[in-house]
Amino acid sequence: MPEPLLKAERIVKVYLDGTVALRGVDFEIRPGEIQGLLGENGAGKTTLTKMISGLLPPTSGRLLLGGVPVRLHSPKDALTCGIGMVHQHFALVANFTALENIALGTGRPADQALRASIEELMERTGLGVPLDTPVENLAVGERQRVEILKVLSRAVRVLILDEPTSVLTPVETEELFNFLRRLKEEEGVGIVFITHKLREVLEITDRVTVLRRGEVVGEVMTRETSAKELARMMVGAEFRARGRRPVELMTEIPVEERRVGAERAREPALVVEDLHVPADSGGEAVKGISFELYPGEILGIAGVEGNGQTELVEAICGLREGKGSVRLRGREILGLPPLELYRLGLAHIPEDRWKYGLILSFTVAENAILGRQRSPRFLGRLAMLKWGEVFAHVRELIERFSIQAPGREAPAKSLSGGNQQKLIVGRELSQEPEVVIAAQPTRGLDIGAAEYIRDILLEMRDAGKAILLVSADLDEVLELSDRVAFMYVGTFTAITTPAEVDRETAGLYMGGMKG
Amino acid sequence: MTLDHFWSILFLSLHAMVPITLTAAGEVVGERAGLFNIGLEGILLLSAFTGALGAEAGGWPLGLLVGIGTGAVVGLFFGLINAYWKGNQLITGVGINLFALGFVAFGLRALGTPAFHDVPRDVRLPAIQTPVGGLSPIVFLALVMPFAIHWFLNRTRAGLWVRAVGENPEAADVAGVPVELVRLLATTFGAALAGLAGAYMSISWMGAVTKEMAAGRGFIALATVVFSGLRPILTLAGGFIFGFFDSLATWIANIPGVKEAIPWQFVSMIPYIVTLLVVTGVIGRVRFPKALGVPYRRE
Repeated sequence: MPEPLLKAERIVKVYLDGTVALRGVDFEIRPGEIQGLLGENGAGKTTLTKMISGLLPPTSGRLLLGGVPVRLHSPKDALTCGIGMVHQHFALVANFTALENIALGTGRPADQALRASIEELMERTGLGVPLDTPVENLAVGERQRVEILKVLSRAVRVLILDEPTSVLTPVETEELFNFLRRLKEEEGVGIVFITHKLREVLEITDRVTVLRRGEVVGEVMTRETSAKELARMMVGAEFRARGRRPVELMTEIPVEERRVGAERAREPALVVEDLHVPADSGGEAVKGISFELYPGEILGIAGVEGNGQTELVEAICGLREGKGSVRLRGREILGLPPLELYRLGLAHIPEDRWKYGLILSFTVAENAILGRQRSPRFLGRLAMLKWGEVFAHVRELIERFSIQAPGREAPAKSLSGGNQQKLIVGRELSQEPEVVIAAQPTRGLDIGAAEYIRDILLEMRDAGKAILLVSADLDEVLELSDRVAFMYVGTFTAITTPAEVDRETAGLYMGGMKG
Repeated sequence: MTLDHFWSILFLSLHAMVPITLTAAGEVVGERAGLFNIGLEGILLLSAFTGALGAEAGGWPLGLLVGIGTGAVVGLFFGLINAYWKGNQLITGVGINLFALGFVAFGLRALGTPAFHDVPRDVRLPAIQTPVGGLSPIVFLALVMPFAIHWFLNRTRAGLWVRAVGENPEAADVAGVPVELVRLLATTFGAALAGLAGAYMSISWMGAVTKEMAAGRGFIALATVVFSGLRPILTLAGGFIFGFFDSLATWIANIPGVKEAIPWQFVSMIPYIVTLLVVTGVIGRVRFPKALGVPYRRE
């Protein structure tokens, strides 16, 4: 067995706020091997790699580089030691060209000599990108290649990739995998591949370390394991404990017996017609989308993130300009301000809950009436808030949505992510909306909270609400939706029912094949 | 207006352009790195005062050095507080301005010249004699500096680092760029240029120190940065527009007839109003660095 390139021993990380992210983790990276690091959100994957790449110091424990203990004080130290990381949210300067971004990483000026060496590197690795276009105008897959080139230009021996496929289409993913295989075989680089996707772990890695709640719960050779075993390790015993219908079961129900058939006859709650939404970087993010959303159904929008879902939702919810038509129960609402939409019965569970969902430094009570502060229930004479009513409302929300909060006067930032989301969901649903737009409603939540939110969505559906669910989690969309649309670069490639698609077809739709 | 008038207004404009352009070009570097220094006004005033003292102590070369040094020291403080200690840039800047007002008023009083402190002719920076009048050498520096800064920002590694820490400090950090240090140096450089501009005002252009002498030029320089869209070469245009109207206003105010009819304070508003209009005209179209004004914290 080859000597490990890098060894992490008994790594403990306690954040300043007391959160224990890692509880004594051992980890090894060997040359010419792709090492999977598997775990759910919050399992400690990112924390571990941040320490290996010099972004965070460990609370205790040590790193051994080729058998010698090292301390990494900055990403620069790590790069000097031959450790490079490709971050999930690319560490690129948006208005710099690819060449300038790579120059930044190499510490060299963006001159002809650098250009020549990068061109040579692109030739050797087969990773081609336009060098003189600002990276903000490049596709995500290209940006990732810039990121990888940036790291490789530093002659790294350890390459860490944090969720590299979360933004890629299946085709791009395949290209990335081929490249990684070449890199490990031809250059003997040790690669750490972080993901929560089991299929990818099985496909690309040689060895897998599974993290759960800051501990290593398993380390296995990929060829000796199975998806089921890995899943069990990853989520632990509590997985699917509450008996919701799994996807497989739903697919066996004949299409005509599902809700869709029954609901189609009714009037749609929301009609979107030929909606165009401009993108921030110029061009169109949404290119003429039309659909109808009926009461009592969940219409899921699946797709790799960055294909226009965010812009679509923001246009419908009055947060972004768009052209075309959006009608709520027959009334044109495109361009109306969010407060007005709220009053008309459109609730929005925003994708970015810290930007649009909550004011983190405000109290739970204040957040519970955000957007409803002018309703007669809460607003008294002389523009004074009726705090008695507000507190009663908070109590209702906390009880009904089992929100764990230190108190109604505690700042929203003191709540866990799951409870913050419950607070938003509770607030948005408490007004009995007709239409609910839920964007990435379970992102970043622990399993318990995620399941809870999913149950609430199903409950609302059964209560006759029309729900638009946008999620990058394909399993979630297939599991909850009555109908599902696949979004790819601003258009729907298919609208169908979950029963009619298997994962492979879904992958094709998400990758741009028309249904 | 005769040809002579034209030349004299042009010369006056060039001289009035210098403090704006130097200060703005320096501030472009600081802002590209993500620090927004509204204390420039204070730096101009402080270094005009200290520069004059330096010149009186050791001639104009020392005066210029002391002016630059004053700017650099203030910039260093500003950079330490904001790049390293993650302070509030607006408050720090306001603090610099208030400190300068008090310090210079006190200093002038201590020197026994509370209203007007004359800088003796023999310690002033000698002007270059041309057929149409004397021209300060700093004018040439101000004409060249924006080009040098343009070259620095766009052609050198350090310039790349400056732009990166202002646009995306996380990315710069991950790439091994020392974010705080780059920001500190960038803002210190900018402040040092403002210091030079201040010393220029007292020991070259006006030949005097008064406590109102900055006259909002630090703020006009900030407006010029906006007008330029953070492109250093355009600070020449911004500086010249202000300088031209500044000189024109002085000229108009002194036309016989006008002098008696309109109070000069009224005419003096012209350059400020023009600047305001020009800046409002471009403000929506300027793309500022994404991390401008935002302290960088690793996690």
